Amino acid sequence: MRDKVVKKAVRETVHAHGKLSFFLILTVLGSIGAGLIPPLILEWCINTLTQRNDLSLLTILLYFAFVGMSGVLDAGKESLITIFGQKVTHRIRSIMCGKLKTLPADYYTRQDTGTTVSRFVGDVDTIETLFTSGIISMAADACRIFSILVIIFVKSPGLGLLMLLVLPALYCLTRFFQKRMLAAQLDNRQAVGRANNHIPDTIRSIRTLHNLNKEEYMEQRYATYIQEGFHAVERSNFYDAVYSPIIITVSTVLVAVMMILSARGGWLMHFFGMSVGTAVAVISYVGKIFEPLESIGMEIQNIQSAAAGIRRINAFMQEPEKALAEQAGRDRLCDAPAVCLKGLCFGYEADKEILHDVSLTVQTGEHITLIGRTGAGKSTVFKLLLGLYEPWSGSVQIYGQNACGIPQEEKRKRFGYVEQTFHAVPGSIQDQITLADPDICRSQVIQALDTVGLWSTVKQFAKGLDTPYQESLFSQGQIQLLSIARAIASDPQILLLDEITANLDSDTEQRVLEALQAASRNRTMLSISHRLYEYSGGRCITIAQ
Amino acid sequence: MKNKAAARIGTYLKPVKASLAIVAVSGLLYNIGMIAGPWFEGKLAQRLCEVIAGTQGFRDMVRLALAYVAVIAAVQVMRYVKRLYVRKFANQINRDMKQELYHSMVFKSKRELQQEGVGALMTKAISDVDACVEGIRKFTTEVFDTGVVMLAYIVMLFQYDWRLTVLSMAFPPIAYYIADRLKKTVTQNAKEYKKSAERLNAATYDRIGNALSYRIYGQESRRDSAYEQCLSDYEDKAVRANIWENVMQPIYLVISMAGCVCILWFGGKNVLGQGWTPWDIAAFVTYLSCFTKLAAKSSKAAKLFNSVQKAAVSWKRIQPFLAPAQAQGMKKPLASDKEMPRGKTMELQQVSFGYAGGKSLFSDVSFSAKRGEIIGITGPVASGKTTFGKLFLGELPYQGKIQINGRVTYMGHDPELIGGTIEENILLGESGDAWQALSWVDMTQEVQQLPEGIHTRIGNGGITLSGGQKARIALARTLWHRKEILVLDDPFSAVDMQTEQRIFSVLCRLAENSTVLLISHRLSLFSRMTRVLWLEDGTVTVSDHEKLMQSHPEYAGLYRMQTQGDTGKEGESENAG
Repeated sequence: MRDKVVKKAVRETVHAHGKLSFFLILTVLGSIGAGLIPPLILEWCINTLTQRNDLSLLTILLYFAFVGMSGVLDAGKESLITIFGQKVTHRIRSIMCGKLKTLPADYYTRQDTGTTVSRFVGDVDTIETLFTSGIISMAADACRIFSILVIIFVKSPGLGLLMLLVLPALYCLTRFFQKRMLAAQLDNRQAVGRANNHIPDTIRSIRTLHNLNKEEYMEQRYATYIQEGFHAVERSNFYDAVYSPIIITVSTVLVAVMMILSARGGWLMHFFGMSVGTAVAVISYVGKIFEPLESIGMEIQNIQSAAAGIRRINAFMQEPEKALAEQAGRDRLCDAPAVCLKGLCFGYEADKEILHDVSLTVQTGEHITLIGRTGAGKSTVFKLLLGLYEPWSGSVQIYGQNACGIPQEEKRKRFGYVEQTFHAVPGSIQDQITLADPDICRSQVIQALDTVGLWSTVKQFAKGLDTPYQESLFSQGQIQLLSIARAIASDPQILLLDEITANLDSDTEQRVLEALQAASRNRTMLSISHRLYEYSGGRCITIAQ
Repeated sequence: MKNKAAARIGTYLKPVKASLAIVAVSGLLYNIGMIAGPWFEGKLAQRLCEVIAGTQGFRDMVRLALAYVAVIAAVQVMRYVKRLYVRKFANQINRDMKQELYHSMVFKSKRELQQEGVGALMTKAISDVDACVEGIRKFTTEVFDTGVVMLAYIVMLFQYDWRLTVLSMAFPPIAYYIADRLKKTVTQNAKEYKKSAERLNAATYDRIGNALSYRIYGQESRRDSAYEQCLSDYEDKAVRANIWENVMQPIYLVISMAGCVCILWFGGKNVLGQGWTPWDIAAFVTYLSCFTKLAAKSSKAAKLFNSVQKAAVSWKRIQPFLAPAQAQGMKKPLASDKEMPRGKTMELQQVSFGYAGGKSLFSDVSFSAKRGEIIGITGPVASGKTTFGKLFLGELPYQGKIQINGRVTYMGHDPELIGGTIEENILLGESGDAWQALSWVDMTQEVQQLPEGIHTRIGNGGITLSGGQKARIALARTLWHRKEILVLDDPFSAVDMQTEQRIFSVLCRLAENSTVLLISHRLSLFSRMTRVLWLEDGTVTVSDHEKLMQSHPEYAGLYRMQTQGDTGKEGESENAG
C-alpha cells in the first residue's frame, strides 16, 4: 500500500497485458523510425535538383510511402496508448476502491462525500487526459528527440553542439514554468472546490437566506471564491501563453545562427556540414525537435493538473486505515447475552474521552432505551456496537463475539440500524430495502414493507417495488418507515434505533411509532431518545460523561 | 431558439469586448505571419545556394538571417498576446456566467429548488459553464489557428503556382469526405462514452456516500464488485470513443499528404525550368513546407467543428437558468400595517388554510399579539403546527387576513447551515460578537474547546457537527438576527431538558421587545408561556396554560404524561457510565 498508486497500476497493467505492452513499444519505435526518414529523402531530392537533375518517380513515391507509413504507425500508436491508458486508469480506480473498505468510519464522517468522489472522478480523469490528449505519446516523442539529435550530429556537428548548449537551458525554463503553474493550479482548484461546495449549501439553506434577506451576502461569498479562482487562473495564463512562443523563437535563432556560420565558408562550413539539401533537411529536423517541446508547453496545464491529481490520489491512499478486525474465530455462544459492554472507554479524538468505563448487558428479547444529555455519547455506543470503531479499552460483545470481528456476511443477520436520516441509494424502491443485496428475496421485501405499513402505498405505484426511488414519492414520515423496513428486511436479531423521530414532521410521527412497535416484536431492541412519551416500556439506561 | 441563444451569448461577450478585439487583431497578425516561416526557410536555402556559388556574399546571408529572426520574433510576440487574451477572455466569461447563474439561483424559492429538481439542474448548469467556456475558448483559438492560417497558406500556394495548387489540393477534400461519413459513428460512440461516464459517477457517489450504510449492513464487497463492473463498462466505452475520435487523424494526414507526390514531381520540373512556372530552390522549399503545414492543419479541422458542438450542448443546458430572476415568485405578501396600535405586532383575522386537494388543516383563526409575548403552539400529531408556522413566511396561499407590524424571523426543523466558520454562520456577514449568541444557546464552552474556536469550519451543511450542535447554532443565528416577530418551529428537539430550560430563560429575556411563536410538542415549557394556541381537529383554541389544563383534557393529558414521565423515569433508570 505504501507504493505510489500510479506506478503500481502501470506495473500491474504491464504485467497483466504483456502482449499489449510489447506491441505498444514496437509501434512507438516504429513510428519514431518512420518519422525520421522523409527529411533524409527530401535532402536527397533537393541536392539532386540543385545539381539540375530530374527527380525519379521512385524517390518521390518512396518519400510518400514513408510519410504514409509513419501516419499509419502513429494511428496504431495512438490507439494502443489509449487502450493501455484506459487499462491503467481502470486499475487505479480499482485500487482506490479497494481502499474504501479499509478506511475507518471516522474518515467518512470527517470528509464530505464530494471531496472523496473528486479523488475518484476528477483526479483520475486528469491522468486519463494525459493518455487521451497525446501527452504520453509526446513522452514517446522524447525518444525521437534523441534520435534526431544523433542525425543532426552526423549531418551538422556544429548545430548539434549548439543544440546541446540550448537544450539544458530550455529544460530549466520548462521546470521553472511548471512549478509556477502548479502553484497557481492548486490555488485555483481550492477556490473552485469552495465555490462548488457553496452551491449545495445555498440550496439547502435557501429558506433561511430568504427569511433573513441574506441573498446578497451569499452572492458576495460566491463572488469571493470565484474571484480567487479567477486570479489564480490569470497567473497561470501568463506562463501558459508565453511558453511556446519562447520555444519557437529560440529555434528560429538557432537556425539563423547555423545559416550565418555556414555562409562564413571555410572550416565553419564543413563543421556545419552544409549543402543546400542538408540545410533544408536540418531545418525540418530542428522543427521536429522543438515540436514535442512546444506541445509540452501547450499541454502544460494538463500536465500540471495531472501532477496535482496524482499528489492528491497518493494522499488519499495514505489515509490511515482501520486496524484489521482480528478474526477472533470464536463461535457464537448460545447462552451469551445479546449485547455485553464491559469497562468500555472510548473517544473520537485521542485526548477527548466520551465514554468512560461503561458497562451494560442486554439480554435477548429485551427492549431498552438509552438516555442522557446531548453529547453524552449515546449514538457513540451504537457505533461501537456496530463495530464501526474499536474501543480504547474494555470490550464490546455481541452474543459473545467481538463487535469488530463480525464478518461482513453475518452483519445483516445481527443488526438492523435505523438512523436519524435515511440514506437513499440509487435504484428502485426494492434497492432501498435490500441495498442491492441479492440474498434478500422479494417476499422478504414485501414483508418488511408490510410490517411498517408501507406496502399498501408502494403497491399503488405503477411499477410497484421496481419504481425508481425518488425522495418526492414519499413524505418525510414514510421515508422513515422505509428506513425501518431496510433495517428489518433480513430479520436481524438486534434492532438499533437512533433518535429516529427527531427530525420528523410531527404529522406522521404516530405511524412511525406504531411501525416500530411492530418491528421490535420478538427482537432485542436498543433505542436512543429524548422524547419521553415515545418510551414504550422496558429499561432505561443513562449514559453520562 | 438559436437566434435567442446567440443574442444571449452576446451579452457575455460585451464586457470582454476589449479582450476579444485584441485577440482578433493579434490572431490575424500571428496567423498571417505564420507564412513568413516557410518563406524565409526557402529564402535561406536559396541564399546558401548562392553563397556557395559565389553570387552572394556573407553579409547578405547575415542580413537575411537577422530579418528572419526579427520577423519570427515579432510573429511570436503576436502569438503570445493572442494566447494570453484568449485565456483572459475565457476566464472572464467563466466568472460572469457563474455569477449570473448563482444570482438567479439564490432568488429562487425553496419549493422551486427542492421539489422541481431545479436545484440539481442548476448545480449541473454551473459545472456546464466550464465546458461551455472551454468550448468557446477552443473555438476562438481554432478560428484563428486553423481557419485563418489555412486561408493564408492557400492564398500563398496559389501565388506560387495555381495549377499545381489546384492539383495538390484535390486530396484534402477526400479526407473531409471520409471524416464526414464517419461523423455519425464518432458522435454515437462519444454519446455512449458520456453515458457510461455518468453511470460511473453515480456509482462512485453511491459507493462513497453510502459507505457507512453498506458497512453496517455488510455489503461493502458486493458494492465493490458492482463498481468494478461499471469500471469495465467505462473502459470499454472510453476506448471506443477515443479511438474513433483520435485515431483517424494521422490517416487523414496521410491522405492530405498525397498531394506532395504532385509537388515533388511537378515542382521539381518547375525548378528545372520544364514546368508551368519557373521556380528557384527557395520557391520549391517554401511551397513544400507550406503545403506540409497546411495538410497538418487541415487534418485537425474537424476539431473546430467538434469544439463548436460541445460548447453548444453545454450552452443549451445553461441558458434556461440565465433568465432574470423574478425575486420570490409566488409569495402572497403579508400586509404590513403601520396603523396598528403601539406594541401590537400581529393580527390574524379568520385565517384558514388547506393544502391543494386536501381538506382544510385549520380554519377561522383569529388572534393578535403584542410585544414581549411568548406564545406556545402545540397540538397532537398531524394537527398542522408546522404549517401554521410557515404561514408567517408567506410561502403558502392562505385565506383571510394576516397583518404584521414589523418583520418575521423564522427557524424551521432544518438547521440550514452553510459551509463556513461558526462565526460566519451566526453573523452571516454582519459585524458583532458571535460569542454572545453562542452563550445564549449554552454553547460557549463547547466551542471554546474546538481547536479553532469560533473560527472552526463546519463543513458542508455543518457536517462536522452533531445534530444538537447544529440545531443550537441555527438557534443562535436566528436569535442574533431576531426581528419584531420570531417564529421558532421545534427549536429544542435535539437538546436535553435542562439545556432547554436554560435556553428558554435567555429567550424570554431577549424577546422583551418581540413576539415569539414557539411551536413544540414538548410541553414542559408551556407553563411559562404568556399564551398557548392549541391546534386540534382543524380548530385553533387561543388560551393559556392554566385554562387549557382545565378545559382540554387531551392537552392536560399530554402535559402530565411528559412532566410526570420525567420524574417517574429517574426512579427506574440505571446508570451505565
